Amino acid sequence: MLTLQSVNSFYGGSHILHDIDFSLETGKILSVLGRNGVGKSTLLKTLMGLTSSMTGKLTLNEVELGEQTTFYRARSGMGYVPQGREIIPDFSVKENILMGRFADQSSKAEIPDIVPELFPYLMDNLDRAGGLLSGGQQQQLAIARAIATNPQVLLLDEPTEGIQPNIVEQIEDCILRLNKELNLTIILVEQNIRFAKRASDEFLILDNGRLVCQGSGNELTDDLANQYLTI
Amino acid sequence: MLDTVFIGLSIGSILLLVALGLSIVYGSMGVINMAHGELVMMGAYTTVIAQTYLGFNLFAAIPLAFIVCAGLGLLIERLVIRRLYNRLFDTLLATWGVAILLQQAIRLEFGLSFFGIHIEGLGPGLQSVTLPEIMTESFTVGEFVIQPYRTFIILVSALLAVLTWFLMYRTRIGQQVRAIMRNPDMAAACGIDVKKVNALTFAYGAGLAGVAGVMMSGFKTVMPDMGSSLVVDGFLVVVVGGVGSLVGSIVASGILGQLNGVVAFFSNDIIARAVVFAAVIAIIIWRPRGLFNYKGR
Repeated sequence: MLTLQSVNSFYGGSHILHDIDFSLETGKILSVLGRNGVGKSTLLKTLMGLTSSMTGKLTLNEVELGEQTTFYRARSGMGYVPQGREIIPDFSVKENILMGRFADQSSKAEIPDIVPELFPYLMDNLDRAGGLLSGGQQQQLAIARAIATNPQVLLLDEPTEGIQPNIVEQIEDCILRLNKELNLTIILVEQNIRFAKRASDEFLILDNGRLVCQGSGNELTDDLANQYLTI
Repeated sequence: MLDTVFIGLSIGSILLLVALGLSIVYGSMGVINMAHGELVMMGAYTTVIAQTYLGFNLFAAIPLAFIVCAGLGLLIERLVIRRLYNRLFDTLLATWGVAILLQQAIRLEFGLSFFGIHIEGLGPGLQSVTLPEIMTESFTVGEFVIQPYRTFIILVSALLAVLTWFLMYRTRIGQQVRAIMRNPDMAAACGIDVKKVNALTFAYGAGLAGVAGVMMSGFKTVMPDMGSSLVVDGFLVVVVGGVGSLVGSIVASGILGQLNGVVAFFSNDIIARAVVFAAVIAIIIWRPRGLFNYKGR
């Protein structure tokens, strides 16, 4: 169970997120929706400890993480796929994936078993530089790296953004499979309402850094989308 | 002429040892360590002290200087640099302050007013290190005169460059350092303890500076300000080679060392230094990110 209580987040002196409260049960998918610049990516960065500071309470399975550093959160089960992927271009595919293993101190530096099943292309190109992959392949690589951290919660920031349409569906299927097969809790920042509706057990909508609406996945209607998401 | 090339190689080797530490530290931590030259000086003084008081010869002083300077580096990182991450100019000023502090500490003979420790024979006076006998007598191979100590410097530098390459590219700690150089936030999000790795990186760079100090103590007078100009030379190598690039540091130290040696042979040291600076300016105009850029400056 992931719980946020009165979470506020800051970049320097700028107050970005205001009093965010929600909880998410293990194995559920939560979509975070909202217009550009409302704080969706900041919410994920806050969960990872990548903003300047935060206040409030953040617990994962009753372990308090709000005061902890980013690396500690990663070792405690938070896996992160950032917007723009941020793979290391001159690392090989293998090195990029194995970066994730630093979060899992208990096991050997080996690629997790599920990665070859999900991303056979990556396994066939382990020695290739990450920077030479296409956008979709880099997204697969970023997800594989996050899986290698052995997460309990996977934070995905617009995983289908800028990906060619035929690959988008593969990535969506892969996210759903991770949720089902590994019972992974997933928080998905998404602009793609179709996928959010398809995947979400729950959703929340942010506006100006505040949580303005939340509910179960089947309550995510076109009316809500029109009210909060159209420009 | 071969002798000149050989001298240039040995100068380049010292530059390489100095630049390796600077380059890795700046590449991974974004810290311009102005005290790096003083860490070289501390390595040289460690040799003097070890020889005078412990009876160590120069060979035995190498690991000792590495440990002393790495420990000192760890202390500087913990006390000063860790508090100033992401503040480039503040770290520059703070490490300059540390440099002055270290120089003055030595001038004060580890200070009557410093820690109350007095070490005979240090002080403001000049110091020299006695080389082991095996290092003092030149021999010839054909027409080529081999100077054993300069050969030793080249070998030690080559060995440490290979060791550094191995650590950086063949170990998990090296992968962590390279990941931090590229993307510290993602490195942390992958479970890498960035502060701890940075501290170890800084200590390793300081240790290399210490070894450079041992090497220098064998052919230069050991004095408190011997490191001041070295830090500039080290940064010239880093800028020319490309920040964080091991290969860049090796190539740049070779180029600058040879240029210095050859020009000094045909003219004098002052002109050689001017030519080196002119060459550096030309190279950074031609390739602003250095010859082998790993991370932009």
